[in-house]
Amino acid sequence: MTVQTTEKKNGDWEPRIVAYCCNWCSYAGADLAGTSRIQYPTNARILRVNCTGRLSPEFILAALDMGADGVLVSGCHPGDCHYTSGNLKARARWAMMETAIEQAGVNPKRIRLQWASASEAQIFADGVKTIIEQVRELGPIRSEWK
Amino acid sequence: MSDTQEPRIGVFVCHCGHNIAGYLDVEKVAKQAGDLPNVVYSVDEMFMCSDAGQQLIKDKIKELNLNRVVVASCSPRMHEPTFRRAVEEEGVNRYMFDQVNLREHVSWCHQNEWDNATEKAWDLVRMSVARTRKLESLPVKTVKVTPRTLVVGGGIAGLRAAMDIAERGFEVVIVEKDSELGGHVRKYTHIFPTDQSGAEILKPLIKDVKKHKRITVMLNNKVTEFDGYIGNFLVTVKNQKTGTEEKLDIGTAIITSGFEPFKPKGYYSYGESPDIITLAELQEIPRSEGLVRPSDGKPVKKLVFIGCAGSREPGNIGHEHCSRYCCSATAKAASDLANRVDEVMILYQDVRTYGRGHEELHRLARANHVIYSKFPRDMKPNVDTTSGEIRITWRDVLAAADLQIDADLLVLSSAMVPPEDIVETSKMFSLTRSPDGFFNPEHIKLAPLTTHTAGVMIAGTAQAAKNASESVIDASGAAAKAVALMAAGEVEIESTVSHVIPDLCSSCHTCVTACPYGAISMDSEHDPPIAIVQEAKCKGCGTCAAACPSGAIVMYHSTDDQIMTMVEAFLCYSPELAKRGESV
Repeated sequence: MTVQTTEKKNGDWEPRIVAYCCNWCSYAGADLAGTSRIQYPTNARILRVNCTGRLSPEFILAALDMGADGVLVSGCHPGDCHYTSGNLKARARWAMMETAIEQAGVNPKRIRLQWASASEAQIFADGVKTIIEQVRELGPIRSEWK
Repeated sequence: MSDTQEPRIGVFVCHCGHNIAGYLDVEKVAKQAGDLPNVVYSVDEMFMCSDAGQQLIKDKIKELNLNRVVVASCSPRMHEPTFRRAVEEEGVNRYMFDQVNLREHVSWCHQNEWDNATEKAWDLVRMSVARTRKLESLPVKTVKVTPRTLVVGGGIAGLRAAMDIAERGFEVVIVEKDSELGGHVRKYTHIFPTDQSGAEILKPLIKDVKKHKRITVMLNNKVTEFDGYIGNFLVTVKNQKTGTEEKLDIGTAIITSGFEPFKPKGYYSYGESPDIITLAELQEIPRSEGLVRPSDGKPVKKLVFIGCAGSREPGNIGHEHCSRYCCSATAKAASDLANRVDEVMILYQDVRTYGRGHEELHRLARANHVIYSKFPRDMKPNVDTTSGEIRITWRDVLAAADLQIDADLLVLSSAMVPPEDIVETSKMFSLTRSPDGFFNPEHIKLAPLTTHTAGVMIAGTAQAAKNASESVIDASGAAAKAVALMAAGEVEIESTVSHVIPDLCSSCHTCVTACPYGAISMDSEHDPPIAIVQEAKCKGCGTCAAACPSGAIVMYHSTDDQIMTMVEAFLCYSPELAKRGESV
């Protein structure tokens, strides 16, 4: 697979973030951020999945492999999952995944799991900012893959 | 089906007036999309959701033989149903449509970054086109609805719902854990805003329910198992006295499992004196000429109420909500009792007598010389019983004075909280709960009575703290929802479900335990047994697909491939490669 980078001609680099959001909480929270005209950086591309429980670790690893500088996963708060407990399963897988990517030599700060409900637009937007800042400090992903 | 044909995609980029076009270059996005593989038509248009916009989609489907459509406009949570309907009218399957969220997720939150917003929009459109190329049409399925409703709880809401449904010609089974119908309301001596007792109010309703030929009442019973899917539930009901079990086929269910009056232990010395009681306990004291103290039977001279006991406490989970019935019920009780005692006082945080006829109760109380005194939210009254008296000291906000009274009877207007067995009930019916502890509706504004378990409705205080008349309104609403399903006789179910590929299944059972709905079982007809999905029970969360170690589970409309191709389209695109057909 060909990894493209976003290095511009003048050498500026902008982090590219894949953001998996669950349909019921965080995707709606991102909608509300828009409706509320909350301004946040443009680096993240939101992918809608039904539930964070849908995300197999492969989705996160493959995104990093394809050149994402960071991956954000945003779901419903524990106890609030539209599907009862999908977010808890995502959380359980998360611990394993952090170890896995660390072993691959990738800084786990490149991935972020957060909870943001449909009414927590600011929390969602702040989470996007946080992952971008974390990744910006680390630099492009291609510097890390071994 | 159209997915065997070469994809012919139409991309429609919406200006949404100034809402999108004012903050990013929609023309450029549409033009670039036109160069993507399989895109045969691409355009930017003022309002895609307007009649003209929808007609444009339909015309282009006909004219260019489009078999897939992408609309880049607002959130799919807003207009996905609109566009799905439009493409379906021209014979394109609803699952061959994809929507890009350029408004909520791009233009509205990046209002000062024209170039970056345009780039993001272009990426999202490209991702959607890549996904759309891999979409598959899915059948629109229906299942039959058994014309019988289960009502869980025979309180005022359950009774009303049962009557409404029976009157419309459908069968109802009421399952009540108590030995009598009527719930809490039956026990109360006064039900505001009327002068009647709860029992008097309920009498005709209970009589009608009992004699109705289409209503079966099961007292001393609890639901112990709830299985199946919308229109086709199998319920196990267990008699709490005899232990006998019965199985019922039902099509819909209404949960009216009610509330519990909060026992405010730790508040205002509750429990330290028999003369400190809750409003619910006061309401359960039989009617009499005078009001006497429970401790020694002497007449009450000084009666004090304290409001918001266990309600409206920010940071105290389960007690943050307003219980909604207490201000009006307190005003009514205080004004009723005002002429039987020397002095009635209500200590309150705020007075919220919001309902029809409730403000009149508040005025009536004041007219009957009930004294209202406001205490600060962060400095609640102090109740001390060490001297043998019930000594209340508090700060009056309006007089800016510290006051004290020795009460003969102290009544705490305590919160409505969920009954203890709500945990069991929520698990059984796969319902989620709000921070107040009550059941979550499907949508707080648009669908307050339906839940995320299709076919299961909630009404009354199972849904939130509220008064009896509001519970009855809910009950009629939930009954209408149940009747609508049963009258239609069949219901559409989502096709976005999971599917096990038999040849890949390794019989590990991981998916069976991962599924929150019990929708996956092992098909023992096969040797070795393989997992099989009961589609009507599947809600499409995809947890099983993520958990399957063999990659044997396909999530329709959300396949691994459909998701990963979007990631690839975002990260691995280059115009040069695209021209050579080597990139998505």
